[in-house]
Amino acid sequence: MSKIGLIISREYLTRVKKKTFILMSFLGPLLIFGFVLLTSYLSQENKEKYEILVVDESHLFDSILRNSDKYHLQWAPNGKDYNEVQEIFKKDDQLDLLVYLPVNLIKTNSMTAKCLYKEIPSTGVQKHLSSIINEAIELYRVNFNNIDISTYKSIKTKINLDVVDIENKENRNIQRKAFVGIALALFIYGFIFLYSVQVMRGVIEEKTNRIVEVIISSVSSFELMMAKIIGVGLVGITQFIIWAIVTMIMSISIFPLLIIDKFDPSLQMNSDELVNNSFKIDPNNEAIQFIINEVQWSYLIVFFILFFLGGYLLYSGLMAAIGAAVDEEADTQQFLLPLTIPMVFAILMASKVIDDPSSSLAFWLSEIPFTSPIIMIVRIAMGIGDSSVEIWEIILSLFLLTITFIGTTWLSGRIYRKGILSYGKKASYSDLFKWLKN
Amino acid sequence: MSSKNIIEIEGLHKSYSNHKALDNINLSIGESKIFGLLGPNGAGKTTLIRIINQILEPDQGVIKFAGELLSRKHIHSIGYLPEERGLYKKMKVGEQVLYLAQLKGLSKKDAKHKLSYWFEKLGAETWWNKKVEDLSKGMAQKIQFITTVLHEPKVLILDEPLSGLDPVNSLLIKNEILELKKNNTSIILSTHDMNSVEEICEEVAIINHSKKILQGSINEIKKNYEEKLWTILYSGNQMNFTNAVWGGWELMNHIVLNENIKKAEIKLLNDFTINKFIKGIVDHVEILEINKKTPSINDVFIKATTDE
Repeated sequence: MSKIGLIISREYLTRVKKKTFILMSFLGPLLIFGFVLLTSYLSQENKEKYEILVVDESHLFDSILRNSDKYHLQWAPNGKDYNEVQEIFKKDDQLDLLVYLPVNLIKTNSMTAKCLYKEIPSTGVQKHLSSIINEAIELYRVNFNNIDISTYKSIKTKINLDVVDIENKENRNIQRKAFVGIALALFIYGFIFLYSVQVMRGVIEEKTNRIVEVIISSVSSFELMMAKIIGVGLVGITQFIIWAIVTMIMSISIFPLLIIDKFDPSLQMNSDELVNNSFKIDPNNEAIQFIINEVQWSYLIVFFILFFLGGYLLYSGLMAAIGAAVDEEADTQQFLLPLTIPMVFAILMASKVIDDPSSSLAFWLSEIPFTSPIIMIVRIAMGIGDSSVEIWEIILSLFLLTITFIGTTWLSGRIYRKGILSYGKKASYSDLFKWLKN
Repeated sequence: MSSKNIIEIEGLHKSYSNHKALDNINLSIGESKIFGLLGPNGAGKTTLIRIINQILEPDQGVIKFAGELLSRKHIHSIGYLPEERGLYKKMKVGEQVLYLAQLKGLSKKDAKHKLSYWFEKLGAETWWNKKVEDLSKGMAQKIQFITTVLHEPKVLILDEPLSGLDPVNSLLIKNEILELKKNNTSIILSTHDMNSVEEICEEVAIINHSKKILQGSINEIKKNYEEKLWTILYSGNQMNFTNAVWGGWELMNHIVLNENIKKAEIKLLNDFTINKFIKGIVDHVEILEINKKTPSINDVFIKATTDE
C-alpha cells in the first residue's frame, strides 16, 4: 500500500472502529425519527380538553356553534355584561378560554371576535375556534337566506391546487418538495461540520501528541493533510450510506406502524372542514405517497453526495489549517466564526429560496461555493428544469466548488505545514498571513 | 577523520519571515561516526535537522547524501527522533509501531519480524496490546526509539534522545547508539547533555546565532581550547605561594580544602613554562599534586558561544 493509502486507511479505520461511530450509525436515524415523532406528539397532545366560556351578545350562536368534547363550550350567564364575564373567567380555574362574540358579528363582516386566554392557545386551537365561528355564521346565513342545507353542502368545496411546470410535468408542487431539500440541506450542513471538525481535531491531536514531526519526516505535510481529509471524508460517506440503509429498513418495517398508530383518525380532528361528511384525505398516506413517488431520490442522492463532498473538501481544508494553527481546541473559536457564518446564513436563506427558487438570490447563493452545497440541494430537490434550477447551473456550481476547494486546499496546505511545527504560541490572523506568504 | 562523508552540507541558508535561522552552514558528517550537533536554544539546530529530513526546504545551499543530491528517495535511509516527539495516545502500541514502520517503507511482514527482535531487546514484549496512554514516559521513549531505528537507516538523527530517561534506561539507549554505530550507522546527536557528548561523540559542530562556529573531532577541539591551565595541590602558606614567583602567570582560582591542603588554579602567560613556576615555588610550599587542566566539551561550548 502506498504511504498515502496507509494514512487514509488509518484515519478511516480508527474512526469507524470507534464504539461511538457504530452506535451513531444506528442511533442517528432512530434519534431523527424519534425527534420527528416527539415534535408531532408534543405539538398535538398539548391539552386534552378546553373549557371555553362564550359571551354571545346576539344570542344567535347557541344552537349553531359546534360543541365537542375536546373544545367544550359553556355559555356565559344571562344578564352579565362582557366586563363582568371577564371577572368570572379570571376567577374560575376550570375555564381556559373566553370567546367574545359581539352583537354585530353575525350580521356584518366587519366585526372581530375576541379570544381571551390565561395560557396562550396553540395556533391549532385558534384555527379551530375561528373555523367553528365561521361555520356558525355561514349556517346562520344559509338559514336566513332560506338556502337548502344540502344545496349549500354541494356548493361548498375545498380544492387542492396542483402547481405544475408546463415544460416538465414532473415538476409538480415544487415548494412541497423543497422540504425534502431542506432536510437534505440540514444533513449536508451537519455532515460538513461534523466531519470537517473531525479533521481539525485530528490535526490538533497529532500536533499536541507531538507525533506529527515523525510522520512528516516520512510523507510531505501536504500528503498528510490530504490523506487525513480523504480518510475522514470516507468516514462521512460510510456513515451516510449506513444511515440511508438503516432509514430504509426502518421506513419499511417500523415507521409505518408508528405512523398509523400516531395518526389514528380519532385523534386527527380535521377542524377546518365546514361540514363533517366532506371528503377527507389521510395526510399520512399523502405524505408517504409524496415522499415515495414525487421526490426523485436517485438524482437527489447523487447530488447530495457530490455537494457534500465538495462542501466538505472546501471546509475541511480550512479546518485543517485552523487545527494546525492552534495548540488546543479552545483556541479555535476566533478562526471558526468566519467559517460558520456563510453556512448559517445559507440555512437561514433557504426559506427565501424555496419561496422563489429561480430568483437571483437563489441563483447566487447556489453558485457561491461557501453557500452552494446547502442552497443548491434545496433547489435540486425542487426539481431540475426551468422553474427551479437548470442543469447548467448545477454543473457551474459544482465546477466553482471544485476550483475553490482546490484553491483553499492549496492555501490551507501552506498554513498547515508551518502551523503544525509551531508550538506554544497562539497564532493570530497575521501569523496565518505570514505563513501563507512564506 | 573518516575518509568518507555520509552527509555534506554546503552554503546552507534558511530564513523565516522575521529572522535568519541558518546562515551559510557548511558541514560534513563522517560515515559511521557519532556526530554531536551542539548549540544554545534557538541557534538553528532544529531547523538544520528538519532540512536534512526534508521537512523544511532550504532557501539556498546543497545537501549531499552519500555523494548524491538529497532527494525524497533518501527518506527511507534516515531515521529521525525529533525533540518534540510523541505517539497516538489512543492507539495500541503494536498497531502504531507497524503503522510507523510501514510509513518508513517496510513491508508489514518485515516490520513484524524486526519489531519482535527490538521488542525483545528492549524488554517491551508485553506492551504490544497496550494503549500508548497506559505506558510510562520511559516506556514510550523506548517505543519511539524502536520506531526510529527499525528500518535500519544509514543515518540516525537523534534530537535529545536521552531526555526524560532514568539513568538505567539512559545507559541502555546509549549502549544501543554505540552498537548501531558499530554496525555502520552514522548518527547525528543533538543534545545539551555534554557528558553524553563527551562519552559517545567522535566529532562535534557548534552552531550559534545561526552560524557554525566550530567543527572538529572532540580531541582536536579540546586541544584548540586548551589554555595552559594547571591545578596545583599544595600545603603551606598562601602568601608564600602567591609571592614566590613574580610575573608570567595568573591565579585563576584558589580554594582552601582544609587547614593543610590548598588548591590553586593557575594560567601560564605567554612563554612562561610550568617548570619555571615549579622552580619558583618549590622552596616556599610543599607541592602535593600538579595536573594539567584540559577543557571539557562543556567549557568549550560555553567559551565558544559566549566569546562570539
